[in-house]
Amino acid sequence: MTAERKAEDITAVRMVINWLGLGLFALLGVAAVVPLFFIIGDVYIKGIDAINSLGGLRHFLIELPPTPYDESGGIGPMLVGTLYMTALGALLGIAVGFPLGVYIGEMRKEKFANVARAGVNVLVEFPTIVIGLFVYAVMSLAKEDLNQYLLGPLSNAISPLGEWITWFIGPLDGFNAYAGAAALALIMIPYVALITASAYASIEQPLREAAYATAGREFNALFVVLRKAVSRAVLTAALLGTAKIAGETAPLLFTALGNLYYAPFTGPTAAVPLWVWYAAQTPYEVQIASAYGAAAVLLTIILIIFIVARIRG
Amino acid sequence: MLGFLLVVLLIPYLIAAYGLLFVKLRWGLRLFGAFIVATIALLTAMFLVEAYPIIARDGIAVFLEARWDPVRESYGVLQALVGTVLTSAVAMALAMPMAIGVAVTINEILPARLRGIFGSLVDLTATMPTVIFGLWGLFVLGPFLKDAVNSVSKSLVGDEVMTSPYTLFTAGVLLAIMITPYAAAVIREGYALVPKPVEEAIYAVGATKFEAALIKLRYVRNYILGGFFLALGRAMGETVAVAMVVGGNFSRFTTNIFESGITISSLIALQFPNAAAYQYMVPALFAGALLLTLFGLAINAVAIYIIQRGQI
Repeated sequence: MTAERKAEDITAVRMVINWLGLGLFALLGVAAVVPLFFIIGDVYIKGIDAINSLGGLRHFLIELPPTPYDESGGIGPMLVGTLYMTALGALLGIAVGFPLGVYIGEMRKEKFANVARAGVNVLVEFPTIVIGLFVYAVMSLAKEDLNQYLLGPLSNAISPLGEWITWFIGPLDGFNAYAGAAALALIMIPYVALITASAYASIEQPLREAAYATAGREFNALFVVLRKAVSRAVLTAALLGTAKIAGETAPLLFTALGNLYYAPFTGPTAAVPLWVWYAAQTPYEVQIASAYGAAAVLLTIILIIFIVARIRG
Repeated sequence: MLGFLLVVLLIPYLIAAYGLLFVKLRWGLRLFGAFIVATIALLTAMFLVEAYPIIARDGIAVFLEARWDPVRESYGVLQALVGTVLTSAVAMALAMPMAIGVAVTINEILPARLRGIFGSLVDLTATMPTVIFGLWGLFVLGPFLKDAVNSVSKSLVGDEVMTSPYTLFTAGVLLAIMITPYAAAVIREGYALVPKPVEEAIYAVGATKFEAALIKLRYVRNYILGGFFLALGRAMGETVAVAMVVGGNFSRFTTNIFESGITISSLIALQFPNAAAYQYMVPALFAGALLLTLFGLAINAVAIYIIQRGQI
């Protein structure tokens, strides 16, 4: 009788510990995502207010940013710069990241593929500011000769095409949109490569053999037949990577630098995250408000990409 | 000239790599692999070259002294190094329990329908732009932490320990929120790999869910350690959000986490815009970047080694 009672007591104690322990884990897990709601709420509540007080959404999306003495303004140049640099960076990132991912995912028996995989693993974790600084250093080394031997003559040759071309091609400043895009691409490449690699690695062996047997060439097997098996994962990786680089600030600090006006992409270029970073730290109410508005716009872009990626993926 | 060649040759290199994909697939793929390895080698070499002037002038002292006085051209990054260590320590202490909590919550507690949504929320935290975390830290978290810490410290020691909303502690807490998803992702990956027979054995001896979770966590301890190091690498390198809330105190050396400080990455972000005006500041900042790079390489090497050794 007493032994049974004792066993019951122990069971009861273990049940209590069970609930307490699981409760603690759940509490910790929930604590990790609660700030997300606070942040999104804060950005939208203050951001929508700010956009309305600065002249409405349409105005906000195309106008120049407010100076400390203005009452209204927008983030037009920043939006253009962000879209341009993100598009270029994402294209380059996918163009290099995808074949790289195929290499480290499919050729795992090669020694060099393992070296490359370690390199990708290191690069994906690199501090983004270090990547920005690297592109800045390359740019400052290359700029003068590049302008003298290549871009100067080139822009003279294509100038008859019209004024608009000088906005895209021409002698580069030390800070320009292309350096920014290069830095963003360097962040995107390892990200896309890793997800592509794990998608290719998860293809089952019989499917792989069937692909090689029917495709004729290895190229067709890898890039035509097997690509269909992983296209979903790769598309998700591309979208999430784009969302990630659209919001990056640190790599743009010394490459795009930021600008307040609509300006040629060959010179300092504005970006939404750079404006949030700059304006939030000024002492002027109107600029802080525009930082919140810009943050709301940026967050909307990223949420849309994220949700599309989740639904498609 | 070297940089010119580098940039100009990059384009034919990529075209060649693509061309080779069609002709000799494996060599084409190898060129892409070589690209990434060369990038990392070049990055390290570039920072060594750029940082050389200050290392030649001061030797190793640039890493061991805590003076940042541009007017006297004297630079030491020790205070930033200590700041990086302190913020990372605060962040890791808070983030690891949360990351483990996330892994257990998703795998053991939530019903199957909610797992995907909860996982998406965690992933979204990782995708959020860091500058938005910084904005929130600047106007919401910083003031909130100041009030909270001060009301606690008043009742404990009768003094306000946190004099400014922007301190190393604020940066650490903000970092914890930002890096939890990275550690959680690795732990989740390991947790999902616990073999079914092991799980069945755990329940067969009559373990409760909580006891099962503890046993499984011990089983995946390599992943927890690997996630720890990966998250640590993120915490040390994070720039913008930290720079916005850390206080930007370059000059005074402090080990008190409730005071304003600086970290290496935020030192670079905040000082680089004025660096060109001084002779040795650019090399000093590149020395900081070199230090970050070496830390990054070392931490990642350890993390990758641990995860691969423990591959179940």
